Amino acid sequence: MYGTPDTGGAGATGDDAPLDPRQAAMLLEQTSRQAQRQFEPSPPWLLAIRAVLVLAAFGAVWFSVRGQHPYNGPTAAAVVAVVAFGVLNAVATVAIGRRATARVRGRSRLSTVETIVLASIWVGVFVVMGALAAAGVSNGVVYGVFPATAPLIVAGLAWAVIMAGRANWRACGTALAVVAVGAVGAFAGPVGAWAVGGIGLCLTLLAVAGTIAWRQRHFVVTL
Amino acid sequence: MTTDAPAVPEPLDPLIHVPARLRILVTLAALPKGDALSFTRLQDIIGLTPGNLITHLRKLEDAGYLNTDKAGNGAASRTTVALTRSGRAALDAYTRALRALLDGL
Repeated sequence: MYGTPDTGGAGATGDDAPLDPRQAAMLLEQTSRQAQRQFEPSPPWLLAIRAVLVLAAFGAVWFSVRGQHPYNGPTAAAVVAVVAFGVLNAVATVAIGRRATARVRGRSRLSTVETIVLASIWVGVFVVMGALAAAGVSNGVVYGVFPATAPLIVAGLAWAVIMAGRANWRACGTALAVVAVGAVGAFAGPVGAWAVGGIGLCLTLLAVAGTIAWRQRHFVVTL
Repeated sequence: MTTDAPAVPEPLDPLIHVPARLRILVTLAALPKGDALSFTRLQDIIGLTPGNLITHLRKLEDAGYLNTDKAGNGAASRTTVALTRSGRAALDAYTRALRALLDGL
């Protein structure tokens, strides 16, 4: 069944030796912590870095648009900051997620269909943005409220649905928090939307990082 | 007059109360429900020889605590291991029993 040669008995290295209850408790907690760290696709340190980066990226845009009358949109440098954040975030998420789920089979890996759906949603949001610009919608919407909030609302909802389907309530809750940030930002005007997005996402990511760190410390298979 | 006998702690499951098998079950329990881990990654994490790991896995599988599944044939075959519902329940019971035992010490 295992497809690997049997090279020894279980007792060969003393692994069958009975445990003292205190040793068992220590081993149980140690192993549980180690395993949780191994399988966690969003480690707290990565989330904390993301929180700082998203605040810097959205903050750069907010800094470039504050005081604009009428609203023209962010500078090229600010757009580059947001795009760089997006790319870095995507690369880090994929790389660390793959490492965590390497040689794991089951529902924690995104299926090809789900990946395609999420990518299509991202592309679709920016296609709609182009269409709005072509239709002559104001700069405040096309280069302000829409790009600062629509990706959060649409991608957040899609992620929430996918995670709810897997009964991953922590990820579902995070996605809904992102949707809420986008929804609040949509009513904050073209300049305020960037500020709400940056601060809201930063706080959401820090809250999730804190929750995961706390769980890794306390919610091991505990005694 | 009632005589309240002290609660007798549940015995520790002897199948789990062994370092290697405890580590195997706890590692698999950290995966989301429904996920399975490849034999090779489990081996990397636990640090046992393939032979030792196989022996422990067989004992746990015989008890119904885990499932193994082999996909593919020959050199490209891949064995995955997953905790069953009764394996998770057994680990929970073991943890409860261990807690009761330590509380009594």
